[in-house]
Amino acid sequence: MAREIPYIAAVQEAIRVEMERDPTVVFYGQDVAPSDEDPLVQAFGRQRVRVSPISETAEIGMAVGLALAGYRPVVELLMAEFMLVAMNQVVNEAPRLRYMSGGQVKVPAVFKAGYGFTAGWAGQHTGSIYGMFMGFPGLKIALPSTPADAKGLMAAAIRDDNPVCYLINYLLVLEHGDVPEGEYVVPFGEAAVRRAGSDVTIVATGWTVGKALAAAETLKAEGIEAEVIDPRTLNPLDTATILSSVEKTGRLVVVDQGTRHGGASAVIASEVAEHGFGSLKAPIAQVTALDVTVPYSEPMEAYVLPNEEKIAGTVRQVLGEAPVAA
Amino acid sequence: MDRVVAAELLRTMWRIRLFEERVAQLKRSLQVHGLIHLSLGGEGVAAAVCRQLRDSDAVYSGHRAHGHAIAKGAPIDGVMAELMGRKDGICQGLGGSMHLVDTAHGFMGATGVVGGNLPLALGTALTQHLTGTDNVTVVFFGDGAVQAGHFNESINLAALWRLPVIFVCENNGMAEFTAREEHSTIERVSDVVAPYGFERITVNGSDVPAVYDAFGDFLKQARKGAGPYLLECVTYRRAGHYEGDPEKYRDPVAEQEWAQRDPLARMTARAITEGWVDEPTAGAIERHAAAEIEEAVRFARDSPFPDPELSAKLVYAR
Amino acid sequence: MTELDNDKLVWMFTQMLRIREFEERVKRTFEEHPGVIRGHTHLADGAEASIVGSLATLKPGDQLMATYRCHGYPIALGTDTKSIMAEIYGRKDGLCGGYGGSMHLVDPERGFMGTSGIVGQGIPQATGLAFAAQLRNRSHPPQVVLSFFGDGASKQGAFHESLNLASLWKLPVVYIMENNNYNVATRSEQEDANAAAGEPLSRKAAAYSMPGVTVDGTDPIAVYEAVGAAAGRARAGDGPTLIESKVYRLSAHGNIIAPPGVPLHYPEHEAITVFGNRAEYEAALRGDPVPRFRARLVEQSVLDQARADEIAQGVRDEMDAAVKFALDDPFPDPEAAAKIDYVYA
Repeated sequence: MAREIPYIAAVQEAIRVEMERDPTVVFYGQDVAPSDEDPLVQAFGRQRVRVSPISETAEIGMAVGLALAGYRPVVELLMAEFMLVAMNQVVNEAPRLRYMSGGQVKVPAVFKAGYGFTAGWAGQHTGSIYGMFMGFPGLKIALPSTPADAKGLMAAAIRDDNPVCYLINYLLVLEHGDVPEGEYVVPFGEAAVRRAGSDVTIVATGWTVGKALAAAETLKAEGIEAEVIDPRTLNPLDTATILSSVEKTGRLVVVDQGTRHGGASAVIASEVAEHGFGSLKAPIAQVTALDVTVPYSEPMEAYVLPNEEKIAGTVRQVLGEAPVAA
Repeated sequence: MDRVVAAELLRTMWRIRLFEERVAQLKRSLQVHGLIHLSLGGEGVAAAVCRQLRDSDAVYSGHRAHGHAIAKGAPIDGVMAELMGRKDGICQGLGGSMHLVDTAHGFMGATGVVGGNLPLALGTALTQHLTGTDNVTVVFFGDGAVQAGHFNESINLAALWRLPVIFVCENNGMAEFTAREEHSTIERVSDVVAPYGFERITVNGSDVPAVYDAFGDFLKQARKGAGPYLLECVTYRRAGHYEGDPEKYRDPVAEQEWAQRDPLARMTARAITEGWVDEPTAGAIERHAAAEIEEAVRFARDSPFPDPELSAKLVYAR
Repeated sequence: MTELDNDKLVWMFTQMLRIREFEERVKRTFEEHPGVIRGHTHLADGAEASIVGSLATLKPGDQLMATYRCHGYPIALGTDTKSIMAEIYGRKDGLCGGYGGSMHLVDPERGFMGTSGIVGQGIPQATGLAFAAQLRNRSHPPQVVLSFFGDGASKQGAFHESLNLASLWKLPVVYIMENNNYNVATRSEQEDANAAAGEPLSRKAAAYSMPGVTVDGTDPIAVYEAVGAAAGRARAGDGPTLIESKVYRLSAHGNIIAPPGVPLHYPEHEAITVFGNRAEYEAALRGDPVPRFRARLVEQSVLDQARADEIAQGVRDEMDAAVKFALDDPFPDPEAAAKIDYVYA
C-alpha cells in the first residue's frame, strides 16, 4: 500500500520502522527530539533517542564505538558540512576499521545529513560535497531523489553492515510522492531508470534528477528522447546500468549539484570514458556547479548551479545540434 | 560610564534592535532570504564590548553576527544590502548573513560553523602578540560552541601562549533548539574553562554597564599584552534560533520576563536614573536610529543585484 | 573491592614481564632482522604497570580501546603473542591477517575493540562502546569500558567532546590518560596549559563534572586501586572518571620514520636526543616498574627469586617462540589485499 507523503516524512518513517523492527537501532544528534513529546521518544524512550551537543567528533566517533559493540546507530548531523568537522572519523576511521582488522569487526553506522540547500544558506551550508567521500573505500553513499527512495534507502542504510553517508537534499524535503507503508527497502547499487529514451543518457543525482526530467520534457518537444538514470547510491555505483544505457544511446551527459572537480560526475564520466568508449558517438559532457563557493545573493547562487536550461543546452551540444562552448 | 558613552551605547543598541526587527519583517516578506539569526537580546553585549574597541582591534563572530558587525562599525546600509543580496552589500552579495566581513573596521568575519571562528581568533591574536602592538582580538560565540572540540583546543593554546584574546561568550542557555542542560553538566561557561586558570568572569548580559566595566578591565590588561580572558554574558535570546523558527521547544515568552531582561529597556531606564541621558534625548536616539534603518533599506533596495558573473570571480587571490 | 591475592599479584607481575619481553623483541628485530618490520611501531616499555594494573580490574564482558601504542593490551588480555608478532611482521597468520600492522591490533573476542592511529580519535569510539553498554544495561556485572590514550590526546577536541558527553549521559567508561610527559618530541609543558602551570592534567576533569585522579602509573597496585574505584563508579551508574596515570616510556616515541632503503631503528629517548637531558632518562630507568615490582613481591614473600626466575625464563621462551613463529610465517597472498569481504561487511 503506497500513499503520498512528503520526502522528509518518508525519512522519519524509515527510521521509525527500522527502530521498531530492530532494537539495536539507536538515533541521536543535535536537536534530535529535544522534547519528550516527540513521537520517536514516545515510541522508543530516551535511551535510544537522544539529543547531543555540538560535538561532531564525539557524535560520529561514538557511532563507530556503538557499531563495534553491536548496535546500529543513526547519527543526525544536520548538514553534510558538519561532517567535515569530524572528517577523520567519517573517512579515516569508520570505513577503515574492518579492513585493517582483517575482517574481524564491522561498523554499521548511518551518518545522516542534508545537503545542497541552495536557498540563501550561503557558502558554508550549501555545498554538495559527497563526491569527495567516493574516494574512501568502505564508506557507502546514498542520495535519495524521491520520497520512496528516501524511505527505502534509509532502511537499506540502517540494515547495511557498513558505514553509510545518507544525504537528503534539502530542496526536496517537501516534495510529495508515493511511499509504501511498513517495511520498505531499496537496495544499494541499483540505479533507477527514471525515464526511458534512446537519444542520450542523462545520469543525474539527487535534486538534479527532477531538473533532468524537466529538461527531458523540453527536449521531447524537439524530437529528442532522453533516458534519465538516477544512480541512487554513489557507492556502490551501478555502472552496469549506466553503461548499458550508453551502449543504447551513444551519448552521455552527467549532472550533479556538486563542483566539477573531485566530484561524483567526474567519477561517473571517467568510468564510462574508460569502459564505454566504444559506444560513444560524442564526448561525454558534465553539468555541474561552477568550481566556486556558493554565493549568497540569489541571482549569483542560481548562476553557479546546474538547471534545466543548462542540462537541455548540454544535451543539444552532445547531439551536435548546438555548438560546443569552449 | 558617562553621558557620552551612555548615549553612544543607546544609539548602537537602538540601531541593532531596529535593524533586526526590520530584517525580520523583510525576511517574512521574502526580501531577505536564507538563514537569518537575529541578535535581539544581544544588543547590550555587542554595544558594550565594541564601543571600547578600535578599528585595528579584531572581532570575530558566529552565525548570529549582525549586532556585532554593526557595533564594530560596519555601515548599516552595507549590511542591509548584503542581507538583501545586493551588489553594494559589504561582501558584494557573496556572503550573506552568516558571512559578514568588514575588515576596514576590524570585523574579521562571521562563520556558519559553530565555534569555527575560535581558532581564527587565536591566529589574529598571535600576530598581535608577535608584532608587539597593543591591539587585541575579541571573539564572540555562544554557549553551544563550548562543547565543540575546537573550543577546548583554542582555550588550551590561548592559555599556553598567553594570547591577547578576549573570549566573549553570550550564554543564552540555548544551542539551536535545545537547552544548555542537554548539552553539558556545567551550567556556567566560565566553569568549563576553570581548569586553565586564566581570568574569567560571568556577568548579566542585560546589565550593560556591568558588561562595559567587566570588558573594560580585561581590555586594559590585554592591551598590555596579557591574556587570555573570558567574559561570559548571560543573555536572553528573544527570538527563535533562526527567523521562522516555530520555537516549539520553548514556553511562551513571558512579557514581564522579557521586560526584566531586555538590555535596551534596562539601559534606557538606568541612563535616565543616573542622569546620563534625559527622556527626550533617549527618544531622539530611538527616532534617529529608526530613520537610519529606513535609509539603509532604501539604499539596499536601490542597489542592483550583482552581475551573476561576479560569482565566478574572487575564488583565488591574485 | 577484592584484595589482591598472591595469585593475582603473580599474574600481574607475569603480564608486566610478558609485555616487557615482547616489546624488547620488537625493538631487537630492527637490529637482528632488519627490514622485517616496516612502518611505525610504538612500544609500551615503562607503561606495563599502568596497563596491567588497569586490565586487572576487568570483568568478563568489559571492553577497551587504545592508541597506536597498543601491543601491551592484547598481550595482557591473553591474545597469542605469536599472532601479535606475526601481525607486526606483516605475516598471513598475524592477528589481523597482516592488514593492520603494529598500530591497528584488535581482538574483539577478548574485549580489545581496537585502536586509532590518529591521536585522540579512539576516545569517542570508546565512549560509543560505553553508550552501547548503557543501552544493554547488563547488570551481572554491569559492563565498563576503559578508554586508553596519552597526554597528547588531552588537547584534542575529541577528548573534550567525549568527556562532556560521557559525563552528561553518565556513561560507564573510565578514561585513562597515560601521561608520559611527551607528545612525540614535545614535552607536555610546551603544549599543555596545565602542564605549563605545573598542574596535574587530571585537573581537566573539573570541566566535565567528573572526578579527576592522578596516580603513579609505575605502581601497578596503585593503578589497580584507582581504576578499580573508577570502574566501580561506572558500574554503579555514577558515570565516568578521568585517571591520569603517570608513566615514563623507556623507549623513544617509536622507531624512526624513514623512506624505504634507510634502515629503521629505535633512537634514544627524546629526553636525550632533543633535550640533552640524560639525567632524566637515567632516573626513569632506575625507577623501571618491572624490576621494582618483582623486588617488591619478593620482599613481601609473594614470590621467591627462584619462582621469579622461572617465570622470567618462561616468558623469554614464549617471546622467542613468537619471534620464530613470525619470522617463519609466510606473507599473505598479495591478492588478499583486494578481499572485498574485508572492505565491506
